[in-house]
This record gives sequence, C-alpha cells and structure tokens, in this order.
Amino acid sequence: MIKLITLATILLTAPFYSIASTSYNYSYYGEAIHSAPGMTFAAYINAQTLGATLQSPEDLVVYDDHIYVVDSNVDSLLVIDADFQLVHEFTSFPLSAEYIAAQGIETPVDLTLDGPLGIDVTDSGIFITDPGHYRVVKLNHDYEVVATFGTPDDDTFDPDPEDGEEEGINYEPSKITVDPTDRMYVVAKNAYEGILEINSDGSFNRFTGVNPIVLTPFEIFSRSLMTEDQLAQLQLYLPTEYTNVQIDSRNFIYATSRVSENNAENPIQLINPKGVDVIKKNGYFPPMGDVQYIVGMNNYVIDGPSDLVDIASTDHGIYTVLDQKRSRLFTYDSEGNLLYINGDEGNQSDKFTEGVAIGYFGDDLLILDRGTKTIVVYRLTEFGSYVNRAIAYHAEGRFDDAAEMWEEVIQINTNYEIAYNGIGKLLLRQERFREAMEYFQLGHDQYYYSKAYKEYRNEILKDNFGLIVGAIVVIGSGAIGLKIRNVYKRGGSILYED
Amino acid sequence: MKTKLKEWYHDFIRFPKYILLHPFDGYEEFKRYKKAKLKVAVVFITLFAFFRIFSFQYTGFLINPNNPLDLNSLNEIFSVVLLVFLFTVGNWSVTTLMEGKGSYKEILMVTGYALFPLVIIGFPSVILSNFLTLEEMAFYSLMMLIAYILTGWMLFMGILNIHQYGLFKTILAFIATIVSMSVMMFLGLLFFDLIQQFIAFVVSIYEELSLRY
Repeated sequence: MIKLITLATILLTAPFYSIASTSYNYSYYGEAIHSAPGMTFAAYINAQTLGATLQSPEDLVVYDDHIYVVDSNVDSLLVIDADFQLVHEFTSFPLSAEYIAAQGIETPVDLTLDGPLGIDVTDSGIFITDPGHYRVVKLNHDYEVVATFGTPDDDTFDPDPEDGEEEGINYEPSKITVDPTDRMYVVAKNAYEGILEINSDGSFNRFTGVNPIVLTPFEIFSRSLMTEDQLAQLQLYLPTEYTNVQIDSRNFIYATSRVSENNAENPIQLINPKGVDVIKKNGYFPPMGDVQYIVGMNNYVIDGPSDLVDIASTDHGIYTVLDQKRSRLFTYDSEGNLLYINGDEGNQSDKFTEGVAIGYFGDDLLILDRGTKTIVVYRLTEFGSYVNRAIAYHAEGRFDDAAEMWEEVIQINTNYEIAYNGIGKLLLRQERFREAMEYFQLGHDQYYYSKAYKEYRNEILKDNFGLIVGAIVVIGSGAIGLKIRNVYKRGGSILYED
Repeated sequence: MKTKLKEWYHDFIRFPKYILLHPFDGYEEFKRYKKAKLKVAVVFITLFAFFRIFSFQYTGFLINPNNPLDLNSLNEIFSVVLLVFLFTVGNWSVTTLMEGKGSYKEILMVTGYALFPLVIIGFPSVILSNFLTLEEMAFYSLMMLIAYILTGWMLFMGILNIHQYGLFKTILAFIATIVSMSVMMFLGLLFFDLIQQFIAFVVSIYEELSLRY
C-alpha cells in the first residue's frame, strides 16, 4: 500500500520538477510564489544565423526597426534588420567630408574602434563609445564619422592619457545614451561622480544623477575622533557606480547601478532633467531585482542581491532590468510594481549565461548574451500581453478595459496580487465600495482600501443615520432614567438638593 | 453571585485603576495591607500573552504588516513568559543586593498589575483599528502609545514603592535589571548551545558504536 502511495506521489509530482523554467513572482509578504511566465523564448540570433563574427558583443540598441550591436573583440558594428538578417558589418568607418574639413586632415584614414562598449542611435546619428581611444565616436546614418569627442574637460580625468603623467583617471566611456538635442549621457569607468552630461559640441557640462553618501550619526561621530592616518585606512565610501543608462521619450534617464552597502535598495534610478532620482517605489518592494536572496554563505550558491547591468523601457513606463548574476529579467510598471520575472541561466538556446544588454524591439525583448554570443528574443506570452495591455488601458484612462484585462490575468494566475488592485480601482470608480474593499484586501493595497472603506463607512452611516441617533437617544435616556429611578428608590428626589 | 461579581470588579478593575491613579497610596495598600492578589497578576500576564496573539491576527488590515501564516501562538506565549520570568528574576536578584524591601512574589505581582493599562486599552484599540481609515490610524497609535507609557509608569512606580527606593535608585535598579536580564539570556544561550553540542557528541558516539557492532 505504501509503495503504491509513494509511486502515485512520484507520478503526480514528477511533471512539476520536469518543467525547465519555473516562473515566479514575489507576494506581498516577500515569498517567492509561482506565477505564469510573462515572456517566453521566441527566437535566437547568433553568428551562424547572421553569417558574421561575434566574439564579445557588448551592447545592443534598437532604432527604426534595426538592431545595432557592437563587439569589443572584433571592434565591429553590426546592423541587423527586422527579419534578423545581417544588413551591415563594419570594422572601420570612413571619415565624412565635413569632418575632414573641420579637422583639416590631409590624408584621410578610415577610423577604427578599440573595444567599443556602448552604442546609442538617434535621428542625428550613431554614437559609439571607444574606451581604447578615450573617446566617443559619432557616425551619421551612412556610417561615416561625423565627430569624435575626447576626454571631457574636468579635473577628474587625465587630459592626455598617452603622455604617461598621472593627472587623474583615464576617460574610458562605457555606456552612452543621447537625448533628442544630441546631448550625450555617458557612463565612464571608475567615475564615481555620476553620469557625465556632454553637450552636442563635445564640451563637458556636468555630472548628473549623483548619489550623495549619507553617513549615520555614529559614523560621523567616530570619524571625528579618528586621526588622519586612521581615516586613510578606512574603507572608502564610494558613491554608486552606474552600469547602464537609457533615455526615454520624455528625456528621463533610466539608470542601473551596482549594488553597494549603502545603496542596497536603490539600484534602479529614473533621473529627471534636473538630475534628481524620481523613480516610483509604490510596489510591495522597491524595484531592485530579486527581493529574497542568500547572504554570503558559501561557494556553492549564488549569493547577494541582483547585479543589474541594463535597463530597457517600453510604452507606458514599463521597464525591464537585466540581472547578470542570475540571468533574470525583471519587468516593472511605472509605479514600481513587479510585473513578471523571466529568464533562466543555461547554455540552451532559450537561455543565456552572461547577459550584457537588453532592448525592446516592438513588444519583443532582445537579450544580448556575451557568454554564448547570442541575441535571445523573448516574446510576451498571453499572460504578459494581458498585463501590459491592462497597464496601457489604465494609463489611457480606459478603466473598464483595464479591469477586463486584469480579469483575464487572474484567470491565468490567481496569485497575481496587483491584478486585484486593478479591478478594485474600477469597482471604486463604480462606487461598489464593499467589493472594492475585498479586492484591495486581496491585493494588499492599503491606500485604496482606506479610500474604499471610508466611502463604505459613510454609506452605512448615512443609511442607518436614524437608527444610530435613535440608539444613542434610547441608551442615553435609559441610563438617565435608571439613575433617577435609583434616586427615588433610595427615597431622594431629583427636584431639589438635600 | 452579586458580591462575587463586585469582588471581581474590585480586584480586576477598581484596585488596579486606583494604583494607576494614586501610585503611592495604591502601592502602600498593595504592599502593607496585602490587597494585591497573585491570581490577578497571573490573569493580567495571561491576558497580555493573549493580547499579543490577538493583535497579531486582528489588528486592522490597514496597519497590519504581519503575515497571518507566521502566527505562532506558542511562540508568543513563550516570549511573554520568558520576558516576565527574566524581568522578575533579574529584578529580584538585583534588588536583593540593593536592599530592596520587596519579595519575589511582590515583584511578580507588580509586573502583572503593571500590564493592566495595556490590557484594558489594548484590546479595545485593536478592535477599533478595524474601523478606522488610514488617516485616522493616528488615534490607534496614540492609544497604544498611552497604553505603553502607562504600563511603564505603573511598573516604575511599583518597583519604586515595593522596594521603598528613591527615584535615582529605582532608575539604577532598572538599568541593573536590564543588565542582569541580558546576562541571563547570554548564559541561557551558552548553556543550550553547549548542551546541544554535548548531545550531538553522545548521539554520534552511539551511532558509531551501533553501526560497528
């Protein structure tokens, strides 16, 4: 009998273990719970399918139905079209006529790159970082060099890295994003001051998105007691080192940064034009990748918080971040709700090992993997597209449609807590407060629950106003009456004092 | 029946209230005229343990961060018992050395009686928190704050009176009590750790022997 039960148990549970990638999400209480996958593998692009060389792809950007990839080993730029076929492959770029004229070059030599790490493409041209030559190269859409921007004029950087004098750190731009006015935002290696803002003519403007270091009162006190030598021995408090930047349609910069001790819950920033982080953290947890992780224990497991290396935003403020450490993708909405988690580590073609860049290609997500030298294409599942559409409808103010989408989402994944909030908001709008409260309770939205409850309570008070006042009058007069009765019983009188 | 009810009312409500509002006179009666009852103190401690469980589960949804699945009644009861035990033993051992006039039973009773405001205000305010909106939650917080302050007040005045201390000596006694509580915790943990290792050692020897022979 026991054998039979055991066999049945194994048979019943086996399918769950055989699912290659289990999708999960975090509940309100921070537990990792099963969830329907939001995105799933659709296609892959690699050197074979392209017929090109890919050795160490570093960055990927999508512009006008084309995918631009830079490779730091071959020093090449690849252009891929919407059918995932190779259009161009460049290792050198001719100089444009105006560049020759402006620089006064007599014998034009084609420009080559040395270890390009970042690329961005806008209407005005293609911008590639070239850390080997301490510069940013700007190409026009005919792939001719229009301009090069060297070391910014700031004390941080060594103005002439080749002369052997140590006058600062070398300017090694890694990631770049460009706004519509051609202002460049550059992440440079070892530059802790923030993101470099460089004007369209190449002059340095300022550092933006600086994370000030905040010391605790105890640290300030203990530091005030230390001598210079002791202070020098202390571990340096370095501000955040940015890993990637991407500008969105409103000229806000999405930035990811490395997690450090004093920056554990702030790895994703949305920097407004003033240089202030305005990312919303209204979800159950701040947007930070994995919420639950093992803290430094042994060498057998991956420990520590997520290591976010790239960010891609799409319509209605939905953005996805890439965790290189565990090869996972976290998608958030503009409020900071964690929508879905995807991705899996492995060498199969639907997985990736060392993701370096992501980009939205329409609704598809491209993941550039340096480890397997592949671009993996993820496509929204039914579940994911319902979620995205619900958010889109909500942003457009079509709350009925949004609630309908959330209903579909719940059909697929009953544990999806934020969907209940979406429906609750519609019910609140329709003044069905009692039901709205139930939904907000399921979705753990205290703010809206409170609003719904307030209205519900008012409703009850209004409906039963006569009853409540009546009860107060009856109880009050009853109590007074009893007191009077007691007084008379004892032979006293309420009419005059004695 | 009626006299029983009256007595009960006096023991559980009126006398603790009298102590709360007239700490010196109240604790005078408490100590000299032996008006305090151990059963009242035990009931209040039990109610406090129950209050912790109750508030874990039934504090209003808007301010209840607890995962209902994490509720462990035994754990809550144990932590209350441990806390009361540590405090009373710690205080007794300290005050014995500091010429305190209170006995262990009196310290235990003071601890129990001191929980009176927490029990009497806590339960209604937890119930009330279910009928408040987020903006009105300040009332709940205020009530709980008052309850905790009054409990602290009663405990402080109780220790001051039963040991017949002055103000500074009481403060000193409290600090020493906290120190002795942490020493006891430390020794307890050390003891359990060592015992655990010892048991593991014995078990492993037994296993080794039983596998060999």
